Amino acid sequence: MFGFIRPVKPELRVREADRFQQVYCGLCHAIRARYGRFYTLFLSYDMTFFALVAGCGQADTPPPCAKRCDAHPLVKRPCAQRDEALELAADVSVLLTYHKFRDSVADDTGAKRLLAKALCRMGRRGYEKARARLPEADGEMVAALDDLQALERQSCDSLDRPADASARLTAAVVPKTGDARERVLRQMFYHIGRWLYLLDAAADVAEDLEHENYNPVVRRYGLREPDLTEIKEPLERTLERSLADVCMAFDLLDAARDADLIRNIIFLGMPLVTRQVLDGTYQTNGGWGKHGSL
Amino acid sequence: MDPYKVLGVTPQTSDDDVKRAYRELARKYHPDNYINNPLSDLAEARMKEINEAYDMIMNERAGRPSGASSNGGGQQYGGQQRSYAGPNAGLYSQVRQAINQGNLGLAESLLQRSGARDAEWFYLMGTVYYRKGWYDEASRAYTQACQMDPSNMEYRTALNNLNMSGGYGGYRPMAEANMCDCCMQMAICNCCMQSCCGGGC
Repeated sequence: MFGFIRPVKPELRVREADRFQQVYCGLCHAIRARYGRFYTLFLSYDMTFFALVAGCGQADTPPPCAKRCDAHPLVKRPCAQRDEALELAADVSVLLTYHKFRDSVADDTGAKRLLAKALCRMGRRGYEKARARLPEADGEMVAALDDLQALERQSCDSLDRPADASARLTAAVVPKTGDARERVLRQMFYHIGRWLYLLDAAADVAEDLEHENYNPVVRRYGLREPDLTEIKEPLERTLERSLADVCMAFDLLDAARDADLIRNIIFLGMPLVTRQVLDGTYQTNGGWGKHGSL
Repeated sequence: MDPYKVLGVTPQTSDDDVKRAYRELARKYHPDNYINNPLSDLAEARMKEINEAYDMIMNERAGRPSGASSNGGGQQYGGQQRSYAGPNAGLYSQVRQAINQGNLGLAESLLQRSGARDAEWFYLMGTVYYRKGWYDEASRAYTQACQMDPSNMEYRTALNNLNMSGGYGGYRPMAEANMCDCCMQMAICNCCMQSCCGGGC
C-alpha cells in the first residue's frame, strides 16, 4: 500500500494522536518479533489503520507499555500491547509488502526492477512464514495479483477491472470468520482497495506518461498530457462513491475501540488525500524525517 | 435488547433528545442510503432495531403497552419500474430477477450471452456493475442507456442516483470536510429535480 491512509492531525484529540503513534510502534514491534528487522523497514500508516480496524471490536484498550527500538534507542516510547489484531496486522503487512515487491519485479524496468528482485530475495523467508500462518489470504492475494498483471499486460482501458483485482487483493486481508462482521469488513476493505488503486493511478499519471507505463486512468480517458483538470470531476465522483461505501460499511461495524480515531481517518483523512491528489497538492514525503509521528 | 443502548441515550435523556438521537440514527441507516449496497440487509435490520427501540422508549414514557407504534418508522423504498416490452423481454425479466436475488454472476452471464445491445441491456448491465461497486463502468453503461432512450425515467433516475453518492440522504464523505462543495451539490441536485418535474417546483 502507499501511505494514503492517515488521520488529519489537527482534528485529532491528543489521546487519539498518542494512540495512533502507540499502535504504529506496537505494529513495528510485532513485525520485528515475528519476522525480524527487514520487514519493519516497510511499515506504513496504512497498516496501522488496518491494525486499528482489526482491533476495533475489542471492548477495552490495555495500557501502553514502554519499549526501545532502532529508531529510538535511548528513550523508551509508549507502545500498544501486542494483541491478536496487531499480530494479524503484522502477518498481513508482510504478505502485502512481499506481493508489492513481486508486482514491482513484474512492472518496473532497470534499476528499480533489480532492487525489487533483491528485496524479494531478502523477504522470502518472512513471506514463507506469513504464508504458513495465513494460507487462504495468501492464495487470494496471489490469484488477484495474477488477474491484475494479466489486465495490465492487455493494457485494459477500464478503470474498474484492474481496480477490482487490486481491491480483491486488499480485501483478502480480512479473516474468514463467516459472520456479518466479515461481510462488513470485506466490503470496507474492497472499497479501500479500489480507492487506493485508482488514487495511486491518478497520482502516477505524469510519471507513467513519461515512461509509457500502463496506467488505468491514462488508458480510460485517453490522456496525452499529465493534466487532470478535465477528468477531475468524474474521477472524483467514482472515488467518492467508494469512500461513501467505506463509511457506510464502517457505520455497520459497531466499533467499540478507537472509533473516533478510525472515523477521523475515513471521514476526513481519506477525502482530504483524495482532494490533494486530484489538485496536485499531495506531498508524498509528508512523514519523512518524523519517524512514527504524524 | 436494551432500547436505550441502541439509541445511545440514557433513561434520564429528555424526550426531545431521544427524538434527536433517533432521527440522527435513522438518517444514517435509512434504506435509501443503502440502495444497491451489498450490506442493505444489515442496514435494514439495524433500522428495524432502531425503530423498535424508539417505540419501546416512547411507549414506556407515555405509559402505553409496548407494541403500539408511535412512529411511521423507515418507509420502504420502492423503485418505480416500467415494464419493458421488446424482443428480449423474457431474458430481461430473468436478469432483473437475478439482480433482485443478489445473484450478480448469473445476471451478468445472461446479459453477456445475449446478442442484444439496446438501451435496456445497458441499463441492466449498469445495475450489475453498480451492485458490484464498479462505479465507473456503471456510469458508462447508464449514460449509454440514457443516450439510447432519453425519455426513460428509470434510466435517468439510476444515473442521477449514481452521481449523487447513494441517494439524497446519502453520505458525502468529501463534503464533510468541505461544506462549499456540499452547497454546490445541493444546487445541482435541485436543478436535477426541477428538470425531472418539469420545472414546476
